[in-house]
Order: sequence, then structure tokens, then C-alpha cells
Amino acid sequence: MSSIILEARDIRYRYPRGMEAVCGISFHIRKKEKIALVGPNGAGKSTLLMMFNGMIRPDSGLMLFDNRPVQYDTPSLRVLRKRVGFVLQNPDRQIIAPTVYQDVAFGPTNLEYNEPEIRETVTRALRYVGLEGFERRPPHQLSGGEKKRVAIAGVLAMDPDVLVFDEPTSGLDPSGSEDIMELLDELNQEGKTIIISTHDVELAYPWADRAILMLGGKILREDIPEVAFGNPESVRRAHLSVPMLLELHMELQKRGFLLQGKKPRTVLDMMRCIETLFEKPGLSPKQGKITVCNVDTDNHEDLLKWLSLQQGVSVGAMGTRAKQHAENSRIALDFTYGVIDKCILKALLGEDSLILTTESMVRRVSQRVDAYGKESGIIIPVQPLNSVTQATEDKKGCRS
Amino acid sequence: MFEELLEDIAQKNGLREVNTYLKLIAGLGAILLCLLSTSYIPPLFIAAVLTGATLFMARVDLRTYAELFILPLWFAVMSVAGIILITGGNDIFWQWNILPDFSLSVTRESINQGVFVFCRVIGGMSALCFISLTTPMTDIFIALRQCRIPEAVIDLMMIIYRTIFILMDQVIQIYHAQVMRLGYSGYRESVQSFATLCGAAFIASWDSGDDLIRAMDARCYNGKFALLGESRPVEFIPGLTVVFFLVSSSLVVILSGNVTLI
Repeated sequence: MSSIILEARDIRYRYPRGMEAVCGISFHIRKKEKIALVGPNGAGKSTLLMMFNGMIRPDSGLMLFDNRPVQYDTPSLRVLRKRVGFVLQNPDRQIIAPTVYQDVAFGPTNLEYNEPEIRETVTRALRYVGLEGFERRPPHQLSGGEKKRVAIAGVLAMDPDVLVFDEPTSGLDPSGSEDIMELLDELNQEGKTIIISTHDVELAYPWADRAILMLGGKILREDIPEVAFGNPESVRRAHLSVPMLLELHMELQKRGFLLQGKKPRTVLDMMRCIETLFEKPGLSPKQGKITVCNVDTDNHEDLLKWLSLQQGVSVGAMGTRAKQHAENSRIALDFTYGVIDKCILKALLGEDSLILTTESMVRRVSQRVDAYGKESGIIIPVQPLNSVTQATEDKKGCRS
Repeated sequence: MFEELLEDIAQKNGLREVNTYLKLIAGLGAILLCLLSTSYIPPLFIAAVLTGATLFMARVDLRTYAELFILPLWFAVMSVAGIILITGGNDIFWQWNILPDFSLSVTRESINQGVFVFCRVIGGMSALCFISLTTPMTDIFIALRQCRIPEAVIDLMMIIYRTIFILMDQVIQIYHAQVMRLGYSGYRESVQSFATLCGAAFIASWDSGDDLIRAMDARCYNGKFALLGESRPVEFIPGLTVVFFLVSSSLVVILSGNVTLI
């Protein structure tokens, strides 16, 4: 287990002339965890989030960052705010500068980076969120999703260890929210601790490592999502709803079906539950292959050539840059979110698939497929694209 | 209400990539020449060239340009009418004695003066339109900083620039909400709704001011606003065009001398 990065010990906070917003909360967050703070409106989620980077000082109790109590003098707060990045719910409230470039450069400038460094961090942050070429655009001309990305890039440019998001998907369309959630996954994969607040249960359930249910300024329940959302009583008290898959699982159990393994968090898990139930593991005798293409390093020509040879292969893209790459080379995408799971589902049906992704997420694919293999005993082959294309080149060489 | 803002047109205009100073020099130089000229011809020449540049080089929509031009033109027409009737002269064309000691007259001098003022207005307007439709504020900030305008002033300008659009959005939303509930159906309602709109906008801007400080704090603000991107280099052909325009306009100013209409 990794070490604790954020900790709260019995913190309380009352708004001036208002009600108590946070009444005695204690919890801890470990490095590289994905935490979802879930609760109804007015549960104190936002207030609690604001304490993570010292925007609000608790009336009593102790906040610890990296095992040291948070100090509230200006220099210490600067250090804390560099390490804990905060993305507000409304990007219009977060974007300060008249152009995208200036806004993303705001943090680095105030951290006194020199000019080439600023340019580099801004370019990197914009590239990360997929907004290259937007440098000179004024924010009021961007769409909601793009504004959100600018806000995230502005925080990423400061290279924080912990990222706090207040309602990251509010006001976005479903595909926009999926994109943002995927971006959060990518960031987490690179070692950042991510904390989000939301009241969207379906969103938090498959994503989070741990869920914290809040109600009336108190923690109602804190556990892995299957357990936290698995108790209808506490979910009802928190004015939330049980995630659809979990409810389905519970209903099946109530009807006397003996479901094996852990509770399902994704459609893939659910399919496995159902298939073991009917003792029909895998619908096809032969599993399909998953090919992984790293858009950062793999040869673009090879990819197109390979795609033209493979008829009927499903293509999914993971990460903003991969999606942009696909769009630029006019590759039609079958999946744009939950890509790995959907490709595993395809493989179980005996169909091949291709995943376009970026450097940091390549490992994630094999990890997820291996984890599935261990659970189910079904081995699905995963191969990098360059090895496949090289093999075909070699074959051609032999023939000639 | 506010369908398309000037700033949005400027961000997309055909001359966006031309060096900011060139555009500013062309525009400001044109205004200066309009003021220096003693004849009505040079301002008309400048107006024709700059309107052509705005319409064909910057590819601004003719309708938008005409709408932009007509509003101030009304003011010009009214003031010029005043000038023509009040300015005195020797060569009287028409006279009306309203009162024993007060009469309105149209003279050769007054007509010349009126036409001269009117042409100057058109020339200056077209130069201002040229600047505002081809040079976005964001580029002007860069130029201002390079001209050593105090940082605090520019920072304030940038924050104001950013918040104007947010405030504008909110005002539009409130306005629509009022229209939907028949807030502007009569004179009384209009006055009342407009007052509420102003109040709500004030509170909203106060709120966003608080939020702005919080957002800046959260990103380690210590008095520095981000550096601006660099401006584009002066290219040969655009540079030559501006020089040619200013030289030819100056020539027109000199050659036209004191030529008057009648």
C-alpha cells in the first residue's frame, strides 16, 4: 500500500452566520488513489474539497498533507497549492486570462518559471488535454468541453501531485463526460492522486478506487464502490441511487441465482457473472486478438496498411491524442470510451480489435486484460502493432 | 441583442495574421491624416481604401460593416445639419428669419464646412472600424506591453476583457428569462425589468469578482499575470502595402490643398 498523502482529523467548519457545513470528518487518502466524494447537493462536498488546497481553513481539527499539518501562512499555502491542483465546477470561473495560452501559463508564471520553461509546460499541458493550436483563442469562443479542458490544462501546467475536481462532468454531454473521465484515468495512470466530487453515481461507480458517501457534512460511508453503493439503506439516506449494474446483480441474487466472483462494476464483469451462471464461458471457442497501436511511436503508414488488410476489425481509441490521431487520418472509431472492456467483449465473441492509444496507456491495456484473464481463466492475446507489422514484413521478405 | 460581437469578427478576420503594429500604424496614421487634411477629398480617399481593405482583405461581411457604420453616421448627419444652418458666411443661398434677431441660413462657407466635417467623420470611422475589425484585443495587449504601458493597467484591462464576456453571457441569460416571462411587454414593465436586470448583473459581477480572486489564489497568484505570446514578424508585402497606403494618402492630402466642394 502506498503512503498517505492527504488526511483529515475531525475537521469542522461553519460558514459565517450559516449552518455547519462540515461537522467532524476524519479520513485519509493514499497516493495514486482515485477517490469519489459522493453526496446530494449541500452535503458539504465542495466545502471539503476547498480544504484540500487551503482555500478554506477548518474551524477545528487538523488537515495533513504528506503527513505534515497544513500551515496557513502565504508561503506554505503557495507550496500546498502547487502540489494540490483544484479544478472548479464552472470553467468560466476558473479561466482568468484573455487567451488560452495566457490562462494555462498563469500558474507557471506565478511559480516564477523562466520563459522557455513556461512555453514548454504550456505546450505540454495543452497537448495532454488535446488542445494544440488553441493557444491564441479567447476562452469565450470555446465550447463547454473545451473550456473544461483549458481549466484542467491550467492546473496540469503546475504539475501537481493531487488533482481535485469539483463536479468534473457537470454541464458536459455524455461523450464529453466520458472523455474527461478517461483523461482522469490517464492522469492517474501517470501517478497522480485524483479526487472528484459528484452526485452521478453511474459515473463514480466504475471509476473510483474508493467512494466516500457524504450527507449533512458527515461521512455516511467510506469503502470500495461495490460496498459503499451496495447498501440500499445508506444509498437511500444519501439521496442517491444504486448503480444499475449493482442493482441488477442484487436482483438476480434475490431470485436465487448463485453469482460467482466479485460484484460487477462493468458490463464485462456482468457478462462474466451471467456466463458462469449458465456455464457457458465464452461464446466462441477461439478468442479474438487485441492489437495495440501506440500513436506516439508506431509508424503511421504501417497502421493504415495493416488496417486496410484487416477487414471488419473493430477500432477503439483511448486518450485525447489517440482520438485526434484517428480523426486526422480518417479512421472510423467503433469505441471511444470504456475501450478495453469493449475490446475484451469483442475478443470473447471471437472478433479481432485494434486499440489506438498513447504511450502512458499502452501498459494499461495488458494490465486490464491480464487481470481479466486471472479472474476468468480466459487468455486473450494482446499484441503491439509494430510486432505484427514487422512479422508480415518478414513473411514477405521470406517469400521474395 | 448582441448577436455577434466585434471581437468575434476580429478573431476570425482575413488579416489576423498580419503584424499588429502594421495594422495599428495604418489605422492611426489614417486618423492623423484625416485630421491634418484641409480638404474634404483625403478623408474620402482614406475611407474608400480602408473600407475596401476591411471588406475584401479582412473579408468582413458587407452587412455587418454597413450596420456598424450607419449608427454613428446618424449622429454625423444631425451634427452636420446643425453646422450647415448655424455657420455664417457671405454667399447666402437660403435664409429664414425666425425671429427678428435670429435667422437660419445656408451659405457657401457653411456647406463647405459641413461637407468637410462629414467626410472627416467618415474617414475616421472607417479607420476605427478597420482597427477594431482586424485587430483583436488580445493582440493589442501584446502591443501595449511592448510599448511599456504599466503592467497593472494591462493586467486590469485583461481581467476586464475576460469578465466582460462572462457578464455579457449572464446579462443575455437574465434578459431572455425576462423576455420569456413578458418582462418587456409594455413601457412600465420595460423600465422595471431593466432595473432588475441591472441589479442582477451587478450582484452577479460582484460574485464573480469573489470567484476570480479565489481562482487566482488557487493557482498561486503573486502579482504576476501570464506572459503574452509573441507577435508575428513584419512581412515584406504587408509592410510595403501599409507604407504605400500612407504615402499615397499623404500625397492626396498635399495635392488636394484647400479644395472645397463649391
